[in-house]
Amino acid sequence: MLFNAFSNPKTGKWIIPGTGIVWFLGCFLLQIQQGLEIETAAADSLVFGVIVIVSLSVIQSMFSYFLPKKENLGQLVGIPLMLSVLGVVAHRYLLSWWFSEESEYLDFLRSTFYLRLAVLAGVEVLSAVLALLASKLQDQEQLNQRESQMLQLSKDAELAQLRQQLQPHFLFNSLNSINALVGSQPQKAREMVLQLSEFLRGTIRRDSQSWISLSEELNYLRMYLDIERVRFGHRLLVDFQVEEGAEAVKLPQLLIQPLVENAIKHGLYGLTGEVKIEVSGKREGNYFVLEVKNPFDPESTPAEGTGFGLSSVGRRLFLLFGRTDLLESGADGTQFKVKLKIPQFQ
Amino acid sequence: MIRTIIIDDEPLAAGIVQEYLADFAQFQVLEVCQDGFQGMKAIQQHKPDLIFLDVQMPKITGFEMLELLDEPPAVIFTTAFDQYALKAFDAKAMDYLLKPFSQARFKQAIDRFLDSVGNENKAEAPDSERNLLAEKSNRLVVRVKNDIKIIPVQEVNFFEAEDDYVTIHTSGGKYLKKMTMKTLEESLDAGKFARVHRSFIINLNGITGIEPYERDAYLVKLRGGERIPVSKTGYARLRQVLGL
Repeated sequence: MLFNAFSNPKTGKWIIPGTGIVWFLGCFLLQIQQGLEIETAAADSLVFGVIVIVSLSVIQSMFSYFLPKKENLGQLVGIPLMLSVLGVVAHRYLLSWWFSEESEYLDFLRSTFYLRLAVLAGVEVLSAVLALLASKLQDQEQLNQRESQMLQLSKDAELAQLRQQLQPHFLFNSLNSINALVGSQPQKAREMVLQLSEFLRGTIRRDSQSWISLSEELNYLRMYLDIERVRFGHRLLVDFQVEEGAEAVKLPQLLIQPLVENAIKHGLYGLTGEVKIEVSGKREGNYFVLEVKNPFDPESTPAEGTGFGLSSVGRRLFLLFGRTDLLESGADGTQFKVKLKIPQFQ
Repeated sequence: MIRTIIIDDEPLAAGIVQEYLADFAQFQVLEVCQDGFQGMKAIQQHKPDLIFLDVQMPKITGFEMLELLDEPPAVIFTTAFDQYALKAFDAKAMDYLLKPFSQARFKQAIDRFLDSVGNENKAEAPDSERNLLAEKSNRLVVRVKNDIKIIPVQEVNFFEAEDDYVTIHTSGGKYLKKMTMKTLEESLDAGKFARVHRSFIINLNGITGIEPYERDAYLVKLRGGERIPVSKTGYARLRQVLGL
């Protein structure tokens, strides 16, 4: 954990052994100064140094697997305290046994017990706190990264969506229809120019961030379907079934339209004869559930499951809600059905 | 009288062609079809001189429909997609009209057609061996008597060359399609199909074994029990694709 606080984790790996060595040298020099013999001072400091390395490693590895939550922050202090008591006691017993003959040293050992405990405990608590801070920093960094990634993804989705909506073939085919209408039915041609303009304006104005009401979204869809109806005449039937009072429900933009476009693409563009596209919406608990149904030709559209280009909608739902279970789709004979669940927050 | 058929899934789009065409008294529209199936049947029935053909239509595309015809009439494509122009040129199209098109541009196309009719002796006969620009495709469209069948390529076990035709062997039966092995090979995914012999392309998925056969030659065994000859170069290619 602490390692991650370093820009280069490889150098970070040496921090604990390094602390141990400095600890050893410091103790050794202090004890020489206090008049201890070199051999005793070296043994004492070596054991103390090893204990420091072991307890710091234990703390590091412990807090890299589990970080105390708010309610048990006490562990952050408790565990290092416990470890330092253990360490100092072990040190004292080991050295008392080692130098059991030298009463002068034993006195020194006894008199410095609390001092050792205080210093060791201080260092270990500090290292635990540092580990916590480092991991918080890392979490924050990851969060920032994910956020910027999400932003990028939603921007990409938006752009792709825009390109999709301004699909040149849709535009040119619509213009071709207008060209045909101008001669025979000028009034209808004018109508279509207005519809197409309004649709394009809506497309350009949209942004994927804000939510709009269901009635707005449905208006927009009707406009799109009206244009398609001019192009394909009587072939296209549209059935909207929206639960009463649901018009005010708020939805993220650019979710339903791709579903309806898919329905058009595989239903209207893929089949001959009459094609009925059904859109229904109702509230279910905390969700607004929207279904789009269209017939399709299993022969010319191999059932590839997600081949219906729903992945972008799924990805957007994940970006918005962090869930992957909000979009269901499947074929039932020659009917394709997509079910979209939009969480509603009140 | 020049006999024409219009094939477009949008009534208004077919309507504008009819409207523009009304200025040319010598043209007669026999039928307006809304998809390639209808189009193919109408062409076989009426044998028109010229067709106006949309590309993106339900069931099969305009190109797929053309491939099914033994003696295709002259074609003027009408589409909103500009990316098919090269392919249309390859299909020996008379012209390629990008929707929406003007009356003047339409007249140009008609003039071009009339010129070619006038110079019929000079103009080369429509090449029966049309080598359409290979486009990666995941399906094949074949004609079975008067019906059309769409075969997803993954359902094909192997292809066998027979003169100007290719026999498509699937578990459900055999189909004949007029095309060259070269075009076919180029249109298939090289990771899924391999040309193991001058006359054979096999689905790599169906291989159950390879056995030696004479000197420098092998046989590949397929799921259906067939044994397909593998040439020397075919064997090298097969080893490369399969990573042997």
